[in-house]
Amino acid sequence: MSETTNSPILKTDAITMRFGGLVAVNRFSMELGSNDLVGVIGPNGAGKTTIFNMITGHYEPTEGNIFLADNNINGLRPAFITQNGIARTFQNIRLFKDLSVLDNIRLAAHYTVDYGLLANVFRTKKYHQEEERVKNEAIELLKIFGLENKQQHLAKNLPYGEQRRLEIARALATKPKVLLLDEPAAGMNPKETKDLTELIRWVRDKFQIAVLLIEHDMKLVMEVCERIYVVDHGELIAHGGPKDIQNNPKVIEAYLGTSDTEAEA
Amino acid sequence: MDENLAYFFYDLVTYLLNGLTQGSIYALIALGYTMVYGIIKLINFAHGEFYMIGAFIGFFAITSGVPFLVALPLAMLGAGLLAVIVEKIVYRPIRDAGRIPALITALGTSLFFQYFGQQTIGADPKAFPQAIAVKTYQFGEIYISNIQLIIFGSTIILMCFLWWLVGYTKTGKAMRATSFDKNAAELMGINTDKIISFTFFVGAAFAGAAGVLVGLYYNTVEPMMGLIPGLKAFVAAVLGGIGIIPGAVLGGLVLGVAENLVVGFWVSTYRDAIAFGILIVILLFKPAGILGTNRKEKV
Amino acid sequence: MDYFIFLAQLSGIFIILAVSLNLINGICGQFSLGHAGFWAVGAYTGAAFTVFLNLPVPGFVNLLLSCGASFIAASIAGLIIGVPCLRLRGDYLAIATLGFGEIIRIIIMNMESVGGPRGFTGIPKLANIGWVYLWVAITVIFVANLLRGSHGRAIISIREDEIAAESMGIYTFKYKTLAFVIGAGFAGVAGTLYAHTQEFLAPTGFTFMWSVIILLMVILGGLGSITGSIVGAIILTVLPELLRFFGQTVSEWRMVIYSLLLICLMLARPGGIFGKHEFNILKFLRLDKKENA
Repeated sequence: MSETTNSPILKTDAITMRFGGLVAVNRFSMELGSNDLVGVIGPNGAGKTTIFNMITGHYEPTEGNIFLADNNINGLRPAFITQNGIARTFQNIRLFKDLSVLDNIRLAAHYTVDYGLLANVFRTKKYHQEEERVKNEAIELLKIFGLENKQQHLAKNLPYGEQRRLEIARALATKPKVLLLDEPAAGMNPKETKDLTELIRWVRDKFQIAVLLIEHDMKLVMEVCERIYVVDHGELIAHGGPKDIQNNPKVIEAYLGTSDTEAEA
Repeated sequence: MDENLAYFFYDLVTYLLNGLTQGSIYALIALGYTMVYGIIKLINFAHGEFYMIGAFIGFFAITSGVPFLVALPLAMLGAGLLAVIVEKIVYRPIRDAGRIPALITALGTSLFFQYFGQQTIGADPKAFPQAIAVKTYQFGEIYISNIQLIIFGSTIILMCFLWWLVGYTKTGKAMRATSFDKNAAELMGINTDKIISFTFFVGAAFAGAAGVLVGLYYNTVEPMMGLIPGLKAFVAAVLGGIGIIPGAVLGGLVLGVAENLVVGFWVSTYRDAIAFGILIVILLFKPAGILGTNRKEKV
Repeated sequence: MDYFIFLAQLSGIFIILAVSLNLINGICGQFSLGHAGFWAVGAYTGAAFTVFLNLPVPGFVNLLLSCGASFIAASIAGLIIGVPCLRLRGDYLAIATLGFGEIIRIIIMNMESVGGPRGFTGIPKLANIGWVYLWVAITVIFVANLLRGSHGRAIISIREDEIAAESMGIYTFKYKTLAFVIGAGFAGVAGTLYAHTQEFLAPTGFTFMWSVIILLMVILGGLGSITGSIVGAIILTVLPELLRFFGQTVSEWRMVIYSLLLICLMLARPGGIFGKHEFNILKFLRLDKKENA
């Protein structure tokens, strides 16, 4: 991968989030090329997830703008942001636990389904065609992720690692241009984390998308990300390649005082 | 002064006084709603029934010759104890099952008391004995009764007591801690089960007091009497900001006054619609209530 | 015999009400306590349609038209109530819908043209058990088919995890409103059928109590399960009548029994029947498998 970014697919322009008097994120700016693999790191409570929530529309930035391929997506509902091409996973896996693996994937393809309410109720030819298509595409995706044998299992009955994988598969089923991963390695053992590292890289290459991830696991971030943004107390304190970040005194300082990050890393 | 204007003024003051009387009752009931909601996030639908039960304890006590000043605390005690029992038997086992099952359980409890009351006491309204002779004081064309003054007085005393209880006692501190973070409070050695029981007791006791006062004011009691005031008190609690104690008082008074002004100056048949109308407006425009602050949902 | 037909008719009407409320409460997970309000809107609209318009067409055409009118009227009421309220969650939504349901009833009480508090009389008896069960079938098939498609899945996903659903590109507000409007519409049809079998309507027949009873039917059968709602509706319609055979006392205590039943049900299986409802989901899966086969 080249160091220089191609045309940015996602750009945040000085986004700020205030909760009452608290500034969670202050004028955060970043760019993501259309096939980049970039990480956002920072100690606990630094505002990383808030940045994700702003990009995905769960929070509207108090100030600043977010651009997806030059379109301002500020203030759009999360559903429309997803439809425009940004998909995400959650820190604490949010699958539809009581629905089948297949249904989890099919739901992500919902907005692509091209039949109306009445076609659904009267089960027209179009309904059957579209259902067939959605199902086949879902099964294709499950095959890629090695979950095709479990399509009728309830999501909650999958082992933890497979739930993480299913969540990534589900996000990909929305056909995103940008994939946001919120601490994908949380709760994983070193072996699983290693597999995940490969999976993330592979997903980026296979689907030709941009990946932005938040992570505590330094090893994973350093290994997989081409560029890293470091935030602390809502401020961007450093930005660069993994090597630059590792040697950046500001970053070391931000991490030194926080023993919990060390423990998790 | 212009005569019409004078009459308008007299009417206005009369409606305001009636509104404040009714508002005090709503406030007393709303306090229990808000305290229980604040501590376990449960809309205790059965709360209106403790008001009804308080009214009936007062009714039976006064009918059998107990003086009013004894009957009132007796009703408070009775309603409070019953609430503690209900909490132990019904709400405690369901506390961790989620909010909707808890809400439905509360609905069931409410229906149980209403219909149990109808079956045992009878559905017909009973005349509440005139424990205190009504005296009406007149200022110009403005009338105010001693019953109204008693209601104001009792409400103010009870509220001051609650203010002291929650703000300046160890139990109050524990209540605030439990409502802020139940698990943390437990780790700090607070017996949260006990605190929750106590909250139910205080809330129901206040509702019971409201019941007796209403019996005195309107002179009738019946098993279904808790339904509408209960719902309206809930509206009052939401209006002021649910979980916020001064909010319940403010909400109750605002609701009482609004109702009486609309009924007085406009139409009476829409009386019960006003509260629900206010509820919907507040839920849509400031769901946290007048004194509340809006919070964002955590993703 | 007449008595059984009466009971069967009433059961059918409550099946429509329970299934339509289930779409809102059980399947979409939006806790509504205002279903009796939509029922009332439908009943009064349907009755007013046949009584006041008195179209010179055969009775059954008139009935079908009034069913259509009441579906539309109740749907519109559902839209008016749903759009502002569905932004609220959980118990707040429950209270707001309860408030709207009561407001609807109070408005009807104040409408002299439909009899106000005295009730609406002189409604022709156009519906019979056949019509009722035709609409039961339509309602059940409509909802069941809906659930087998993408729109239905979107509605279910809101119950499962609204935030995740939204993040998957599902415009949750649209689907919540859709479930609410369809549910209200069918409640409206139940209202028309009720009006044209009973020949009389009183506003006191549509109190908040009835919203609770319909909800009870849904819960008894299992939130989210259509067959459950059907069974629940039949049990709770027939049970009070059966209690009559146990004598005056039991019959009089039936509301006490109802409420105790509700509490015990919640205490016994709050998690089993709510939220994570195992057996309903299995049922969905079974439906899916049949479809796949």
